[in-house]
Amino acid sequence: MKTCNFVLSGLGGQGILFMTKILAQTALNKGYNILGAETHGMAQRGGSVVSHLKIGDAGSSLIRAGAGDFLISMDEAETYRYLPWVRPGGMVFANASAHKFPDDRVKPYLAEYKITAFAMEAGKTALEMGAPRSTNLAMVAFFAAFGQGPLDADALRQTVASVSPDPVKQVNLKIFDVCHEQGKNCAERSAHGIV
Amino acid sequence: MKQAFLLGNGAMALGLLEAGCQMLTSYPGTPSSEILPETVRFAKAADLNTVIEWSVNEKVAFDNAFAAAISGKRAACCMKMVGLNVAADSFMSAAYIGNIGGLVVISCDDPGPHSSQTEQDSRFMARIAKVPVLDPASPQEARAMIKTAFEISEEFQVPVMVRPAIRICHARQNISYEQLKSNYTPAVFKREPTRWASTPKFRFFQHKALNEKHLKIAEKFNTLVPYNRHTIKPEQTFALGIVVGGVPSAVVSDLCAEFNRTDIPLLKLGAPYPFPEELASQFMDACDRVLVIEETDTVIEYMLRDRHKTWGRLTGHVPMEGELVPEKIESILNQALIESSLPPLSDTDSTKAGFALAGSLDLPIRKPTLCPGCPHRASFYAIRKAVPKAIYPSDIGCYTLGSNLGGVDTVLDMGAGITLASGFWHAFHQDGEDKPIVATMGDSTFFHSGTTGLINAVYNDARFVLVILDNGITAMTGMQPAITQGALVDGRKGNAIALETIVKGCGVDYIQVVDPYDIDHTIAEIKKAHEWALSPEGGIAVVISRHPCVIGLRDQALPEIFEVEITEECDDCGLCHLRFECPAMVRNPDKKMTEINPVLCSGCGVCLNICPKNAVQTVS
Repeated sequence: MKTCNFVLSGLGGQGILFMTKILAQTALNKGYNILGAETHGMAQRGGSVVSHLKIGDAGSSLIRAGAGDFLISMDEAETYRYLPWVRPGGMVFANASAHKFPDDRVKPYLAEYKITAFAMEAGKTALEMGAPRSTNLAMVAFFAAFGQGPLDADALRQTVASVSPDPVKQVNLKIFDVCHEQGKNCAERSAHGIV
Repeated sequence: MKQAFLLGNGAMALGLLEAGCQMLTSYPGTPSSEILPETVRFAKAADLNTVIEWSVNEKVAFDNAFAAAISGKRAACCMKMVGLNVAADSFMSAAYIGNIGGLVVISCDDPGPHSSQTEQDSRFMARIAKVPVLDPASPQEARAMIKTAFEISEEFQVPVMVRPAIRICHARQNISYEQLKSNYTPAVFKREPTRWASTPKFRFFQHKALNEKHLKIAEKFNTLVPYNRHTIKPEQTFALGIVVGGVPSAVVSDLCAEFNRTDIPLLKLGAPYPFPEELASQFMDACDRVLVIEETDTVIEYMLRDRHKTWGRLTGHVPMEGELVPEKIESILNQALIESSLPPLSDTDSTKAGFALAGSLDLPIRKPTLCPGCPHRASFYAIRKAVPKAIYPSDIGCYTLGSNLGGVDTVLDMGAGITLASGFWHAFHQDGEDKPIVATMGDSTFFHSGTTGLINAVYNDARFVLVILDNGITAMTGMQPAITQGALVDGRKGNAIALETIVKGCGVDYIQVVDPYDIDHTIAEIKKAHEWALSPEGGIAVVISRHPCVIGLRDQALPEIFEVEITEECDDCGLCHLRFECPAMVRNPDKKMTEINPVLCSGCGVCLNICPKNAVQTVS
């Protein structure tokens, strides 16, 4: 089978590796093989962090530029930095204000390569709900609402429940549900051509 | 059967224990650092009594493993590729002497480089040492190769290198495994001075024996399937064949599968040295041209005999530097296919447009920085304040990032903070100038390779201030325990060694300990140390700047949290975010003043003492 390729980007400390873990564990629970590439060491200290995850049978861990199905990003600038990794027809999910995203300078490129891009202020929502560090799983919930790829929302939510440490489990699930709902609204509007 | 989502380093840990490795030693370094703790985790879960240690440096690690191997046990040591430079003396000699139990050296390469000072190719080191080398293409293959490496090492009584690149070490893959079993062999040391302590005369014979072993190992490598193989059947001929090794072999296979290109023959050399001549010749004879795609240097390319047929780095087809990421390999392949009058794999125009777009957006340049609350930030700030016009030699660790604060002028290698300081001193002193010099070094690096340089500097009467940045942990590589704390990798208690004792033992008389969070006191002490160092009765002055790492030892590092705010007094001078360089202090361009990012702020409170306008205050 062709692999389903996720590119996850953000800044050091935003929990990109945890986000990778949620997606990977869910894929594993569904019986898929997984292969990913992570950033460690000096590259991790405050810089731009990217994580690649291939679901399905692959031999090499890095996703080729132009071959990513989904880009999920914790930061607007880091979304644009990794845009070249998204394949024509791929999808982008960014932690950014939906009113200002995407940047006007990016729109013609997205249109030309039929890449659809969505944004939600996941960081703001997570902060308001008292768990700013859970922005990563807020973005997973947002992505899950679009029903794309082999990982469904119920399975992802279950993984969030199983990997969240007890003290934050309830708030994580609540954030997941709220952001999933916001994502569903966003997906519906887009299906009706309202952007 | 169990299943886990493991780093390549975890897969190799499994491979080590599955092969019955009884001793594993290492010094941490990206991308190798997780192999040892993962081995501890698996060994504990299976109740194995494997000896696993963080050694003080890579040479020490190698020697310990070597002793176990010549006692008949299977032993391994792992390190990053520049760590192998530190162990090179032992490594070269060990190949001549050989071993009884299998001895495997895992040297992890960092093409890019992502987290290293060079892009050196460990396979070249193996070749200089005459050590056979295996080069895995995936985490799963790395795990399997470790077992093969032990078998070859025992069969031929020679150390064997496994060379995973960063994309193996920091790849993550689902891996199935069985319950691990103990594979206990008791230690036996048979005295044999002509072998274990051989003199140059006997070294000649050992060298000869090693060369003979190599002929046999090369023979074995001709048929070492699946690591070494090609896809050409007898009588077939091709315009272009691709020779691959390591990570690029997985990338090329994936590309050929993705674009359904069964017409491109591959020669995979996962065991490239000693070179499997016969296998390579079969492939070369059937192809008009071959393109070599290997990381990071030209090991295979040099060993292919027919220069006129070979494309690679030497012909400009493959870049001489940098990681061979998949899009680069795609474009290298496309170019070679077109030059061979064959259809290319793909059209890469959309990728080019994407990179051009991202490049045009003025995205923020994100250089690595010290963490918010990092005690090193306070130390470097104090050093710059105390001795502003000095040379600041430093070296490798989190504190390399002190360069952002202007506190790091040189980074040569581990331990060079001290050795360059003494070199600078003598170079200027020769001209009659007493150059102010403040060197920095982390606690772990000081133990790794600081002491010899310090003894040398004292002995030869150099004059400078050495600030040892003691954060109680080996932070950059992932929070390994520090010798000063005495905790061992498996949680047992070892023996803590105090920096003060070692520094004094190196012949230093002037030792002061400060807490860098107390900035004013730290500045005063460094100033005092500097004046003493250059005084007639002076010498090397050591200031131990001690405060726990704000990430690894958070509770100890932040006993009190300061909630801070920026007041109206802020005149937008930028000192806090430009010179003090705290990531939690951000300029608001609309308000033309600094703001605190509450998500990033650690609450260390050090910034309360740095603002010239006193505009940083605790929230009342």
